[in-house]
Amino acid sequence: MDGDSSTTDTSQLGITGEYMASGQYVLQPQDEDGEESMNDHEEGGAKENYREQDIYLPIANVARIMKNAVPQTGKIAKDAKECVQECVSEFISFITSEASERCHQEKRKTINGEDILFAMSTLGFDMYVDPLKLYLQKFREAMKGEKGIAGVPVGEGLTEELTDDFTNPLPAGIITADGQQQNVMVYTTSYQQIPTVQQIQFS
Amino acid sequence: LSGENLAKKTISLPISRVRLIMKSSPDVSSINQDALFLTTKATELFVQHLALSSFNNGCGKETNSLSYSDLAKTAEESETFHFLTDILPKKILARDYLKSLEQMQEEDADF
Repeated sequence: MDGDSSTTDTSQLGITGEYMASGQYVLQPQDEDGEESMNDHEEGGAKENYREQDIYLPIANVARIMKNAVPQTGKIAKDAKECVQECVSEFISFITSEASERCHQEKRKTINGEDILFAMSTLGFDMYVDPLKLYLQKFREAMKGEKGIAGVPVGEGLTEELTDDFTNPLPAGIITADGQQQNVMVYTTSYQQIPTVQQIQFS
Repeated sequence: LSGENLAKKTISLPISRVRLIMKSSPDVSSINQDALFLTTKATELFVQHLALSSFNNGCGKETNSLSYSDLAKTAEESETFHFLTDILPKKILARDYLKSLEQMQEEDADF
């Protein structure tokens, strides 16, 4: 993954000072999200003025996952959606700090998959670990397949094929709050499709 | 980059945003692709888990709706979600708050 640091240091930018006009140049990180706003608490929230702790995942995505988790006819209050949006950022930070700590203890600089899984286990999300390992395995297999096709650009055809692969139901273990092992079918989603997560027992 | 395109097809959350949140943690220098993928996927599971647990444990089942107080209740009562209690304070009625504020002021006045 590339870093996303921005800089006004001309030596790093590789241009001499004389090419810099008055005022500053700042390299913006490549942002794939385009128009999506950082803080979706209000419609069309501005990206520019956000504090670090106010970075959230888009509420539409969060709400969609929630909607598919509760019974079909269930409703979700607006403040509940916003609340979960915040909880998600908290969760990510929670896991990341723990993983980062372990990383530092082992004198490494890059957080890897093991650090994340270990953090989850330590912090009480042990039940996610096995399903996650399965997802990762499938993801890696698909990646290998990609590399094996020499000279073929990764275009529509290839990604469609791989999408089909991932929208097949993936048997995954558990996720029940009482710790019982059950085989549940976890349906993964593609970004455009409506996720159909069914039969995950959270009691 | 193609790895990210692939990941996008399998996850319903924007990975770049997840990375941004991760990087806002202190002392995080770099995150490898596996870690990013796992975190994003885990976040999906987390949302499902939190939503359904709260729905079942709270008033949700009777009212067939998930409310903020269901979430706050779950955070308080569940060990797994206990880390959320700071950001999910239970809402209290304004008059109750004012009452307890008055009491505190009376106690201070006793000095």
